[in-house]
Amino acid sequence: MNSFLALLPLLVIVFVALAVLILEVFLKRENKDYLAYISLSFIVICAFLCIQFWNKSYFYFDGNLLLDKYSLFFTFILLLSTGFVILLSMKYIALQDTNYGEYYALLLLALSGVMIMVSSPDLLVIILGLEVLSISSYALSGLMRKDEKSSEAAIKYFLLGSFATAFLLYGLALLYGTSRSTHIPTIIQYFSREAELSLMALIGLGLIVIGFGFKIAVVPFHMWTPDVYQGAPTPITAFFSVVPKAAGFAILLRIFFPYWKTAINTQSIFVLLWIISVLTMVIGNLIALRQTNVKRILAYSSIAHAGYLLVAILAQDNSSLVFYLTVYLFMNMGAFAAIIALSKKDKEYLELEDYAGIGFKYPWIGATFTIFLLSLAGFPPTGGFLAKFYVFSSAVKQGLVPLVIIGVLASLISVFYYLRIVVYMYMREPSREVDIVVENPALFLVLFLCLYGVLQLGLYPRNILILIQQAISPFL
Amino acid sequence: MNFPILSVVTFLPMAGAFLLIFIHRKKENLHRTIALAVSILAFIISLFLYFNFNSQTPDPQFVEKSVWLGYGINYHVGIDGISLFLVLLTTFLMPIAILSSWTYIQKRVKEYMIFMLLLETGIIGVFVALNLFLFYVFWEAMLIPMYFLIGVWGGHRKIYATIKFVLFTMIGSLLMLVAIFYLYSAYFKATGTYSFNLFDFHNLALNPNVQIWLFLAFALAFAIKVPMFPFHTWLPDAHVEAPTAGSVILAAVLLKMGTYGFLRFALPLFPSAVIKFLPLLAVLSLIGIIYGGMMALIQKDVKSLVAYSSVSHMGLIMLAVFALNIEATEGAIYQMLNHGLSTGALFLIVGILYERSHTRLIKDYGGVSKQMPVFSAFFLICMLSSVGLPGLNGFIGEVLCIFGIFKANKIFAILGITTVILAAGYLLWMFQRVMQGPITNTKILSFKDINKREIAYLIPIVIMMFWMGIYPKPFLRKMDSSVTQLLNRFNNQKAYFSKVEKTQERVKKTENETTEEKNKEKEELTQ
Repeated sequence: MNSFLALLPLLVIVFVALAVLILEVFLKRENKDYLAYISLSFIVICAFLCIQFWNKSYFYFDGNLLLDKYSLFFTFILLLSTGFVILLSMKYIALQDTNYGEYYALLLLALSGVMIMVSSPDLLVIILGLEVLSISSYALSGLMRKDEKSSEAAIKYFLLGSFATAFLLYGLALLYGTSRSTHIPTIIQYFSREAELSLMALIGLGLIVIGFGFKIAVVPFHMWTPDVYQGAPTPITAFFSVVPKAAGFAILLRIFFPYWKTAINTQSIFVLLWIISVLTMVIGNLIALRQTNVKRILAYSSIAHAGYLLVAILAQDNSSLVFYLTVYLFMNMGAFAAIIALSKKDKEYLELEDYAGIGFKYPWIGATFTIFLLSLAGFPPTGGFLAKFYVFSSAVKQGLVPLVIIGVLASLISVFYYLRIVVYMYMREPSREVDIVVENPALFLVLFLCLYGVLQLGLYPRNILILIQQAISPFL
Repeated sequence: MNFPILSVVTFLPMAGAFLLIFIHRKKENLHRTIALAVSILAFIISLFLYFNFNSQTPDPQFVEKSVWLGYGINYHVGIDGISLFLVLLTTFLMPIAILSSWTYIQKRVKEYMIFMLLLETGIIGVFVALNLFLFYVFWEAMLIPMYFLIGVWGGHRKIYATIKFVLFTMIGSLLMLVAIFYLYSAYFKATGTYSFNLFDFHNLALNPNVQIWLFLAFALAFAIKVPMFPFHTWLPDAHVEAPTAGSVILAAVLLKMGTYGFLRFALPLFPSAVIKFLPLLAVLSLIGIIYGGMMALIQKDVKSLVAYSSVSHMGLIMLAVFALNIEATEGAIYQMLNHGLSTGALFLIVGILYERSHTRLIKDYGGVSKQMPVFSAFFLICMLSSVGLPGLNGFIGEVLCIFGIFKANKIFAILGITTVILAAGYLLWMFQRVMQGPITNTKILSFKDINKREIAYLIPIVIMMFWMGIYPKPFLRKMDSSVTQLLNRFNNQKAYFSKVEKTQERVKKTENETTEEKNKEKEELTQ
């Protein structure tokens, strides 16, 4: 249905972003938590809108902004993660002395960017959304101005991100040159018509893959990830590890699901993605073995998870991909929440050595962190197991047995470094003095919700699977 | 029967663990008591399984089946003559293990008991699951509590041991998972419906070449768990470093998951591949028997001696499993129970000694029987049960195994019997050095004899040893029909070692060999 309503969720978010920016000037320093409450309440309103729109399919701007079930599902995931990030940030900002107003405003603008990305079938609009996301992200990663690492992260992210955008635009130009459209379904139609593909079109598609490869952090385009993850404020790292990745995969799915189905010659792109996927799983996990900083471990782990997600794209199974992303949201957010819990005024505990003995000293944080790590490692009965299970089983069904064997062996490597954190938490005697601020109800709410999500998705995910089936129905 | 008795037995310990979470950690004795009560309750309920078990039917009983996640992923449990006693063994030993750690575990009692109970749920789940997905979930989930038990409450090299244990097990099980995926998709391609049901996969006609790969994936997972030579290296580390109760459960029940896996999954699912690999597997088992026994002879540490004796004993069980006849298979299952009892008991006994002296080195002991006469009697019985003295349980199992193996292949039987000889060697020698002779270490003079609690958990084991040694019929007859049905899958193939050799000779005569078979032949000759 062509309706202005399609713009509503986006407008809500942009409005509240600007409102927060203005309000910050008028609020006293001790009242600045209100900004978080305002942002959160509007995110809830927006999520409510998504639920209301579920059975209606609104579009606007000639269908270039499209709120079908697919977009709505992803928008919901993105809203949820941003909500978690805001909850995680409340105490963190006060402890680590970051600026309030621009923090939430930039976060919400980044959110609006990804919302544009997931709800458009037009590559030009997608790149527009991507730029909104990217520019806010560069600023977000540099928010801790007193910290060298944070500035380094911002510069690195900015330089490599600009490269990625350049790749994307060049790829889009080539695709436009051959197919005379920026609209994904039209481009795919072009691919299905041509028996002999022009080199130009293939290069174009390849460049698009590379461009998004930067955003979802796959090897060999992952170089920025560890430094940015380490340097950025930790809640922002949590945001980076989930939100751009989810959006990037949403778009890859939009491109590749119809592409595998209809295009005549898919071999070369398939091989390209196969190689990227293997490299990502193996290298991501191998380098993580050598890390001693927990944020860097999680950075490399998130790289490796992008590899598993690519397996789902290769297996042409979109429901398992979406399920994986949903689980990944909960387990990664949860893990970061546990890391954020281990901080005090102007100090975060991020080295593995700091974690020695934490498990028994802070039993709830230790236990939940352990469950998130086990889920990331893919142990049953957590969501992480089921997510890997669906992805790999559908890949075997597609005959990708060697890829799956590499995948499971790579995840065996990952077991080692995830369990290493657990080893430090429970099996080593504490070597350093660690005292943390325990009163942080918002953070514990996130821990609890993520724990619930991870276990619910691991034990009885039927309702969510049904929702996902509906969400991907526009493609079937 | 409507009462979901298997689910109750499986999940009761987990419910107990949840209960413990909400009890304050200071109340250590309450934690101990609740854990013990829950595990005893689980045992009592599981006895109901034994008395209501119908030994006439080979099919699984007490079956519960309900849709869980859809697409063939069901909650499907049941037990037959093969798994019945393994469930009972688990529920029987768990209260004993908990009782044995009553004073041994002083730190973090709450978490310890929680993990013990979770472990019990995981293990029983493995034995009752009939859906491959469910089986895999339990198989993997059970690793986590064991990982913590070794890693938190273990000895000096606990971190190394526990990581090694987890990684070794996972290599095998992840590859098995890929094989399960393959079965799943093959079944879907063949029938158009989704299933993870074990019995559905039985009817799947698989290409023999594919079967080989799938069998190897399953066999690797189970061989690591058993452990068969050369995948045994995790076992001495894990056993030595684990706390007493951990070693007991590890040796008595966890290793059985490997042999059970062979009987339940690897053999019936891939009969033709099994035939191909029988000689190799049998030789590996034999190497395990002899190597494990030799290693046990030279150990300086009592606990690692018992650990290596496990490698040797499990080798005999595997050899019997691969003999594929009813005597050997029933013997193997019976011997699984015996090994659980006697090795479990030996670990308990080492634990009792360790609690008094805090050393496990044989040379630090000597003449202990003078200080601890009651203990000495228990030690002697358990040790002789492990050696296989007639009248005790080990004898029946070993005789059945050797009978069966002899029927299949005489040379293997003769070599296999070295288990018993070697066991007599290292166990008697160890007993002599630890218990008899003059007291050289003055510390021993302060040893107190075992107390009532220790007697209380040793007595049930000793009673079972005598019962199973004197009157094994109630056990064996319950296995008959299930084992017969299992072996029927091999009947058309006449799967004895000798037959395999004969067919290969025939192949040789017709000179129609492929290079692959040539290699096999070479292997045969080297044997």
